[in-house]
Amino acid sequence: MLVLRFYMQILSKEIVFLITFTTGIFLIAPIFIIVYVSYYNKRKARHFEEKEALRKNFELELLRSQFEVQEHTMETIAANLHDNIGQLLSLTSMTLSSVKAEGAQEGKITTAGELVHRAIQELRQLSKMMSGKELIRKNLGHAIAVELDWLQKGTDYEVLFTDHTSRSIPEHADKELILFRLFQEIISNIIRHAEATRITIVLDQSATVLSLLVKDNGKGFIPEEKIAANEGMGLFNISKRAKMMDGTFNIHSVTGVGTDILVSIPYI
Amino acid sequence: MPLYLSVNTIAEMICFLTALFCLAGDKSLVWKSFIGYLFLVCLTETSGIYLRVHHMRNYLVYAIFLVFECWMVSLFFYHIYKRYNHQRKLLYGWMGIFLLVYLAEMYSIHFKSFPSLTATFMSVVFVVASLYFYLLIIKDEKFRQLSTYPPFWIANGILLFYFGSTACNVFYDYLVKHENGISPTLSIRYIIFNLLNVLLYCCWSYAFICRYYQRKLSS
Repeated sequence: MLVLRFYMQILSKEIVFLITFTTGIFLIAPIFIIVYVSYYNKRKARHFEEKEALRKNFELELLRSQFEVQEHTMETIAANLHDNIGQLLSLTSMTLSSVKAEGAQEGKITTAGELVHRAIQELRQLSKMMSGKELIRKNLGHAIAVELDWLQKGTDYEVLFTDHTSRSIPEHADKELILFRLFQEIISNIIRHAEATRITIVLDQSATVLSLLVKDNGKGFIPEEKIAANEGMGLFNISKRAKMMDGTFNIHSVTGVGTDILVSIPYI
Repeated sequence: MPLYLSVNTIAEMICFLTALFCLAGDKSLVWKSFIGYLFLVCLTETSGIYLRVHHMRNYLVYAIFLVFECWMVSLFFYHIYKRYNHQRKLLYGWMGIFLLVYLAEMYSIHFKSFPSLTATFMSVVFVVASLYFYLLIIKDEKFRQLSTYPPFWIANGILLFYFGSTACNVFYDYLVKHENGISPTLSIRYIIFNLLNVLLYCCWSYAFICRYYQRKLSS
């Protein structure tokens, strides 16, 4: 009887050890599973980040190519305008000046000659504006001033332009050109949508940053609403192009008061 | 009174209070029902201790509670599977099978003991359900921050508890017969279940806190 009891005690101890050991294993296993799932999830997060970075990079490359193609097309049109139509107009002007008319006809021919001369001037300015590289050749401030001259000719906007730039970096001509195109896009948006009477432009330069501030006193809008309603493609493009240059794009708009747009790009 | 304050009851009480604080304002009915369920857990545990203290058998309290336990955990799994387009009939189908097994076992033991086979069967199903949830997370296209993802921590608690209790469930009959011989005051079954309960309710409490902060951030 005593032997049997002793045997039972040993058996009990073995079973208890077995249960404790099995429970330990059964606890370690799920812990490893949880750790594995968490680790896999982290790798998934990394993979997502990489995919997102690739997508963004691809979009930027696409944007850059679009910009280059657009710029090239405009250069071609500007060259054609200047070389072909410009030449034709010059010939017309020369022909008109060689005509010897009398009386009332002389006045008409002189007027026609003046009109052709004006057309040549306008065409030269237009082809110059289309050719970005040509405009930027001096500096960005000059290009903006030319554009604003053109704007003031055909509209009644009160335009205030302040240029605080002190130096131009030739290696950043491409950046200046993109910033100039952004400026044109912003001005075009103001003309089409803002119903403004006054436009203020401030071009500023610090040791590392070149910034462009465009203010108007138009009707303003809520940027989030425009973007949500898919009407803010212009804004979206400006923002993307600013990002393309590693820059920032900030917009502040108050309904009934106006809109401030600030684009800043690294400029070292 | 100290009889009613064991590691088990304190863990359950803390988890219940955490649920009450964190989930009282929750919009989801499934999450909110954790409060009721944990209250039932505390009530069952207290009743169980009361019956034991008065030298009455308490298995019937735990046997009845098993149905609620199965319903709550199944409902939760159904809730988290729902976003992966799982249908409601799966929940009802599983509950039907469970009740069938449960009643069959209760009938076979003449309602005189705890239905340990049903509990083991339920544990296995919940372990599989937890592992299936992990599979869904791995397969999911969407990334989730798992360290603060409440369903993940609820599932972790369930997996640790039910997988960890497998050995005790398998040897349940043996342990019930011999545990007094092993140690009169502190049986191995009691220690293991205390540990598992603490793990379960820690995971759940953390899940409730994460849920609370997510709700606060999104509101």
